[in-house]
Amino acid sequence: MSIARLSETNKRSKPIPTISVQSLTGCAGELLVILENLQKMLPYVRIQSFPFAQSKNSDEPVDITFVEGSVSNPHDLEKLRAIRLRSKRVVAVGNCAVWGCVQKGACSRLAVEEMRNQVYGAESKIEVMPASRIEDHVQVDVKLSGCPIDSTQLLAVAASMLKDHLPYVTKKPVCLECKLRENPCILIEQDLPCLGPVTAAGCGALCPSVGAPCYGCWGPSEEAQMDAMANVLMEKGFSLKEILTRLQAFGAPPELFTRLNQLQDQADSN
Amino acid sequence: MEKSYVLSKEDFPRFLERLKQFGTVYAPTKVSEQSFAFKAVEREEEIAFEALRTILPPKKFLYPQRETLFSYDESGNITEPEVNQPLVIFGAHPCDLSGMKVLDDIFTAPPGDSLYIERRKHILVVGQSCIPDKYCFCESMGTDSVKDGYDLFLTDIEDHFFVEVATPKAAELFNECDFLIQASEPYKQAFKDFWHNRKDLFSNRFETSNLPALLDLEANHPVWEELGQKCLSCGNCTFVCPTCYCFDIVEIANFNGSGQRGREWDSCQFHGFAKVAGNFNFRPGPVDRLKFWYRHKLHGFQDAYEFPTCVGCGRCTVSCPAEIDDIVGVVVRLEGKDDRKSIYAKEPVL
Ligand code: SF4
Ligand code: SF4
Ligand code: SF4
Ligand code: SF4
Repeated sequence: MSIARLSETNKRSKPIPTISVQSLTGCAGELLVILENLQKMLPYVRIQSFPFAQSKNSDEPVDITFVEGSVSNPHDLEKLRAIRLRSKRVVAVGNCAVWGCVQKGACSRLAVEEMRNQVYGAESKIEVMPASRIEDHVQVDVKLSGCPIDSTQLLAVAASMLKDHLPYVTKKPVCLECKLRENPCILIEQDLPCLGPVTAAGCGALCPSVGAPCYGCWGPSEEAQMDAMANVLMEKGFSLKEILTRLQAFGAPPELFTRLNQLQDQADSN
Repeated sequence: MEKSYVLSKEDFPRFLERLKQFGTVYAPTKVSEQSFAFKAVEREEEIAFEALRTILPPKKFLYPQRETLFSYDESGNITEPEVNQPLVIFGAHPCDLSGMKVLDDIFTAPPGDSLYIERRKHILVVGQSCIPDKYCFCESMGTDSVKDGYDLFLTDIEDHFFVEVATPKAAELFNECDFLIQASEPYKQAFKDFWHNRKDLFSNRFETSNLPALLDLEANHPVWEELGQKCLSCGNCTFVCPTCYCFDIVEIANFNGSGQRGREWDSCQFHGFAKVAGNFNFRPGPVDRLKFWYRHKLHGFQDAYEFPTCVGCGRCTVSCPAEIDDIVGVVVRLEGKDDRKSIYAKEPVL
């Protein structure tokens, strides 16, 4: 049954589907993208809660909740669990929610307590947790990555969900979008460390299209070949350490780096 | 039908003006230090006559990277796109002309792809001769010259082009023009010499005449594992290939109930390509996929159509970031002659 129809039969909901936009620990970039596109969605949905953008919000059950940010402290976790309980569908928006982003990736080599002490002081009452994806804690229905997310993808996913279509979110690599735009390959021609081959598409190959290497901000593509990517970069003279730093910056899961981390450990112990 | 003329290079601007009467002219233009791309051109100076391979082949005009198959409105009324914009592809080399013929065979085979067939009708193709570089191996694939598949063909003979007018479409367009002069004997000789001498200029080549047998015999050769492990599954080799034709179909819904069904190029090098219901994947790893791709280019298609789909353009070779698409190198290794230097081998740094 479609969400729209569910809402009609459910007496506690209004006939028009409701949405909620919530954030955990993130930069609010996704909230801005949603805000920018709200006009286009408004005739078809009612905003039940969007604390970032309006002052009257409700914690009633809701059809779709868009969640931005990673789980980085106990309060995030509490909030996320409550969101899940009151939402028919949960959409993770942005790299933070989908992969954990830089707070998980780039910071993973530092102990979280130590970071807290350095930033807030040892006496601080602030509670912290190692940053994690929201799917590490609750069931997520749709994952829409990006840093920030892409408007076209957001609208397509939202429209599909309201029509009870299976939302389409590509897991193919950035190279697809790059080649379809017929960009010269900067990995080949300029030896720039472009991570397009192992990064999920969706941005339209933004960076390589202006001559900058892909940093991997959308998170890994399906079955990303990290070993092969590292091999290509090593042959161009990058150190394994730098390669690992780049590949892991945006929260790609550690299981993709088993072999590379072993290699690095071996190098470190020598 | 074919008529031979000569065009003085000084008269090229007039020739170009005439082509523009047919439709927008797309020709190779320089887009980076090493790369070219077919783009709309207005003037001769924009054309990179020296270009051998563009990043994307002319297939992008016959079968675009992304296209709408149809759109539907709120009440379900369907609109099909109009694809009748006339255009000229200028500067397609023999490999690309051969590639277009492969696509024609695939997309026009019954029941036929209606968008492809319609688009094709409005395209005028101008072929152009070329001198191979170290990546070209069309000669080994038998696609180094073509007898048809173009409306006009220009062979570069010093300060002239030798112009073959091959179709009524082209003859009509160039009716009554004083810059195309009937080819006299010396020009005919220069034309014959060009094609005769060009045969000897291919350095990237193999001898094998029975590729299917070789691929069957060496299906478990260690080269597949060795190269496949290096593959990034990035798909670049397939997008740039003049004959790779796979696509994905995507439906995009709008809030008001209208929407579009579109298609976009896809690649057999992607993990999701061979994934079917039940999460089963019949080509789960990069080694499986790379081997499949080589086989499809050099052998697979022969089962159905009796010709390989590789036309030897060398685009995959130069577009593979992992440097594993040295097709000639692989064929030579399968033949058991491991002594050939890799095409990617860098000159020693002094
Ligand atoms: S520039 Fe980057 S994204 Fe584009 S084809 Fe090359 S590796 Fe892929
Ligand atoms: S090209 Fe890469 S780094 Fe740039 S926006 Fe896209 S995914 Fe992010
Ligand atoms: S397989 Fe490579 S060399 Fe052969 S036609 Fe395709 S891109 Fe060209
Ligand atoms: S063979 Fe090369 S271009 Fe093709 S998918 Fe593998 S790494 Fe990419």
